[in-house]
Amino acid sequence: MSLRGFLDALERDHPDQIIHVTEPVAPAHFDVTAVLKHLELRRRYPLVVFDRPLDLRGEPSALPIATNIYATRERCALALGLRAEDAALGLSLDYARREALRVAPVVVSDAEAPVKQVVRIDDDVDLRELPVVRHHDMDAGPYIDMASVMRDPDSGAYNVAFLRNMYKGPRKLGLHMSPRHNWQIVRKHEARDEPTPVAIVVSHHPTFYIGALNVAPFGVDDYSLIGGMFERPLRLVASTTWGADFFIPADADLVLEGHVLPNVREVEGPFGEFPGTYGPQRVRWVVELTALNRRADAIYQDIFVGHPDNWVMGSFPKEGSLYNRIKGVVPTVKAVHLPTSAVGRFHCYISIDKRVDGESKQAALIALGNCDFVKHVVVVDSDIDVYREEEVLWAIATRVQADEDVDIITNVKGSTLDPSQHDDIMGAKMIIDATRPVRRPFEARIEVPADAMERTKLERLIPPDQLGRIG
Amino acid sequence: MPRIFWVTCPHCAKRFYCHYEDLRHNSFDLRCPYCEREFPQEASPRIEE
Repeated sequence: MSLRGFLDALERDHPDQIIHVTEPVAPAHFDVTAVLKHLELRRRYPLVVFDRPLDLRGEPSALPIATNIYATRERCALALGLRAEDAALGLSLDYARREALRVAPVVVSDAEAPVKQVVRIDDDVDLRELPVVRHHDMDAGPYIDMASVMRDPDSGAYNVAFLRNMYKGPRKLGLHMSPRHNWQIVRKHEARDEPTPVAIVVSHHPTFYIGALNVAPFGVDDYSLIGGMFERPLRLVASTTWGADFFIPADADLVLEGHVLPNVREVEGPFGEFPGTYGPQRVRWVVELTALNRRADAIYQDIFVGHPDNWVMGSFPKEGSLYNRIKGVVPTVKAVHLPTSAVGRFHCYISIDKRVDGESKQAALIALGNCDFVKHVVVVDSDIDVYREEEVLWAIATRVQADEDVDIITNVKGSTLDPSQHDDIMGAKMIIDATRPVRRPFEARIEVPADAMERTKLERLIPPDQLGRIG
Repeated sequence: MPRIFWVTCPHCAKRFYCHYEDLRHNSFDLRCPYCEREFPQEASPRIEE
């Protein structure tokens, strides 16, 4: 259940998935994200370990950086213990299955908790010792962009969510939240003029973060849900600041503890967000740190927000639940995909074996009704592989007449981070029915015969060196 | 997307943007993400809204 264990397994079993940058880099001066961008321009998305990053003081950091972990579905599948070959619908459905599980956490002692191997308290906490990453040109500073844990003061349930934290000083962070679960928890504390305890889990096994992407309702204990994602209990340990009143993940690499100060606000941002645009400078919360806990050999983790590392994470956790809901109404649904070309959220491709006209729209409306991020739904026939975007575009090109097959629905709840949306809440949705009509003859798609494909496998006919040359 | 306004930093002349409702008509100083200096928005040579 450790990040290092995952990285070791990847190095051993999938060496093509991971590379090391062995030269020193300055994460606070965009070196890390520049390397990732270079790779992206070559259409390469390996997990990258920066072995010798500098910290915020410009000195060699004790912690290497692991980033781009989630940039491919194959790696997310491997993180969940699946095979890389299961990275399409199998990954989505297995996520939906695990999301419904609840496995209660277990509490271990400090001595059994690797995250307690190094503990710093109060003024000994110094974020400048960490290789915090500055991501994009207009970002207001280096940001910690992993998941934070808060606890509902009424139910006691823990909530884990990705929240951005701007570096403001050795023990001070600026915190941005959207009006979701952690925001509700902070509001409850602020109504009592109390600080809100927060644990920022900067680095842990990838399954911890994949589990944090769940869409369970407010009040569900995310530690139990993440246990379901691991399919075994999450190990917890009493926090350094609040003891047994607030538990933190025992197997994490790095956990910061602090308080969201009640009714204190400062400017925060801009920050490059998931749509690939900057969220504006805002008036937001402030966190004062009280403790730092880490493994002796901790690895710092970061996500390349606004890029595939962030987009893939946004897609498959929603695909499985959408598939299951659509299947309840349109039993012939074959696959659901939120492609990275639309930031893993805004477009939804659905394939069905359409039996009667109108089923396409039923499937599309379920997707729109169940996920407010989704803006545009394209429904295709099952001969189209929704994971191959050029096939979806081919279906739109050859099976759509815009005046008959496109529907626009106005005034629907959208995403405040969609830069094209005028209203804070509402936007427009579009359904493209790119399926063939059932009630009239339609031209067939050209196909090379299957038996010819089978007897001409390239590996049999072309020397390996030549095949390797074309990639 | 929330309403925004673009502001030009009076110190380094670079442009960035802010949340209109949060910042356009209140007393918080803005903070330039490029030169990291703070300034009242009245000091900006150009605000585009």
